[in-house]
Amino acid sequence: MSFIKDFIEKETLSRRNFMLASAFGLTGAAAASIIGAGRAQAAGAIEDPTIAWSYRDRTNPYWNSIVSGGESFVESLGKPKSALVHLINEGSSEKSLADVKALLGKTDGKLALAIDTNDSPNARPVVEAVVAKGAYVSTIWNKTDDLHPWDFGDNYVSHMSWSDVGPAEQTATILFKAMNGKGSIVGLGGIASNNPAIERRKGLDNALKNFPDIKLLDYQAADWDTQKANSIMSSYLTRFGDEITGVFCANDTMAYGVLEALRAEGLAGQIPVVAYDGNAQAVDLVIAGELLATVYTNPHWGGGITAALAYYAATGAFKPSEEPHEHREFNGPTILISKADAEDFKKKYIDATPTYDWKDFWGPSNGPITY
Amino acid sequence: MPNLSFRGGDLQRWAPLLVLVALVVFFSMVNPNFFSLKNFARIGISATPPLMIAVGATFIIIMGSIDLSMEGAVAVCAVVFASIFMALGGTLGGWGWLALPACLLVGAVCGLVTGAVHVGLRIPSFMASLSMGFVGIGLSLMMTGGDRIRVEDPLFRSLLTQRFLGFPLMVHVAFVVLLFAWFIQSKTTLGRNFYAVGGGEDLAHASGLNVRRVRIAGFALAGVFYAFGALFAVAQLGIAETATGYNFMFVSITSIVVGGTALWGGSGGVWNTLVGVLIVNVINNGMIVMGLPRYVQDGVLGLLVIIAVVLSTDRKSLAFVK
Repeated sequence: MSFIKDFIEKETLSRRNFMLASAFGLTGAAAASIIGAGRAQAAGAIEDPTIAWSYRDRTNPYWNSIVSGGESFVESLGKPKSALVHLINEGSSEKSLADVKALLGKTDGKLALAIDTNDSPNARPVVEAVVAKGAYVSTIWNKTDDLHPWDFGDNYVSHMSWSDVGPAEQTATILFKAMNGKGSIVGLGGIASNNPAIERRKGLDNALKNFPDIKLLDYQAADWDTQKANSIMSSYLTRFGDEITGVFCANDTMAYGVLEALRAEGLAGQIPVVAYDGNAQAVDLVIAGELLATVYTNPHWGGGITAALAYYAATGAFKPSEEPHEHREFNGPTILISKADAEDFKKKYIDATPTYDWKDFWGPSNGPITY
Repeated sequence: MPNLSFRGGDLQRWAPLLVLVALVVFFSMVNPNFFSLKNFARIGISATPPLMIAVGATFIIIMGSIDLSMEGAVAVCAVVFASIFMALGGTLGGWGWLALPACLLVGAVCGLVTGAVHVGLRIPSFMASLSMGFVGIGLSLMMTGGDRIRVEDPLFRSLLTQRFLGFPLMVHVAFVVLLFAWFIQSKTTLGRNFYAVGGGEDLAHASGLNVRRVRIAGFALAGVFYAFGALFAVAQLGIAETATGYNFMFVSITSIVVGGTALWGGSGGVWNTLVGVLIVNVINNGMIVMGLPRYVQDGVLGLLVIIAVVLSTDRKSLAFVK
């Protein structure tokens, strides 16, 4: 059983070297070279790595678009869609990490991984597992503030997130302007502990400060859920009646429930509603005048470019450690959709999926992440 | 009731209704807006899909089994209905109406499969139905690929948008279906057999009843009611998707128990379930009308469910509770 002992020793050694390097504040590049020396694969030398996307589930239109972007990137390499490996964590961080480790073992580190680690604390163990095997990873949405790609040399390629505060403030402002700056609104939020739910609420609060004559009657969490939003909205109608002159929804799927609650009372289109996410149905509703505005975060591009970054770093097409920090931690695009531009938007992004240049890594992005 | 004198059992029997009345009085005192025809119509709309699903599951619980496949069955029914409906022109005016019986049939088949797995393979109903529920979710996900199907036919949506006596059409249709369920429960052999199986399976078997067949029939019947629930859920939101089935398991089982149908079988019925569904929906509506924050709402709902069960079920006759 000596090979097991060897393996453990080697792993302990490379991990210790890595931790020592970090402790002495050496640069990420140095840390990578120490690990790299212990491994057969030098940075950027993997020929034809396996490409994988790890995400929550497919029942949600958002993740569905993320995955379609990943598939379209894989196709741009001349491979079939099925070449993309799907790791579905079903909302479990433990499963997310276990799946990644299993795939690392199977591919022996010849892996380009795009991942949302499900929650922030899980990002570190995932990244460390990938780095230890000499594979390449790009993350989106979840990571802790003290975890940075540049501390891991080339192997932790990039992190992309979306800042929702600003766009949510914009949709709220559109809502308040449609109400002529006075009246009362109700709000429906996402799962209370979710980052986007918190940021979108903050955006609403910021906008409220600029409109002192707008009153927020109540704000309840409807957990991103159409049915829950539907019953909460009808209860709001009982509680506040005609007082409600506007509705703020933290995403599209809840807005659908709100609109149906209004439709049941013959009020559809009479009370302005704003939403978030830019799903196809929401865009149609903006065109029909039932929704006032929504925000598109281009998950298709996000899904594709995250996989592309990991892939091209793995093949050596570019060297992440030579890129500036704003190319390694950046915000994804946000596009505000209101009645005036909804038709154009639909033609460009929904009726036809735009073809993206998957080597233009940072073109559509939206500036560095600030803490 | 042959005996009009007051007994302890009577109080227990009427307890769910008294709880419902007490809740309505309480919420009306806190916010007078609660006690209005408009609000009752709103409660009616949110209660209609879970009522159908809970009625179906009531038959299973009367038999002393449990059915947890409703989320999967509803998702499959909703997606199949919407797919056929859109394929046949997308309006009830044309051939689209064929999707309605097709949906009920799919519901029956779902139930039949669950029942056959439970009885044929001798797997406890709890496990068999839970697993079949997952199969249903997976199946609907496969059919839709995670997308949602929109059903916007004004004729079909009139179930929600058209009103009669202040209530949307779907509430009236649901009431007719409820009467049908009551007819099955009290006037048919099958209905009485449910009680026989739940009251004492060995006895029923010894007296020549084909218990296995009754169980499978019960699951198939429940599936038809899940299909009704799926239809109303689609009518309510205009969307059919995998998530159409979500949340119904908790609401329906809670409602049945709160309504006074005992989980150990043999007692209760569809009227109890009606009262139970109304209690749960009145609580949900009332807490928002009162303005309770969300984190308090979940706790209050849990406590009220326990109180309702304590009041409405006869636990003295039980040797042990498991």
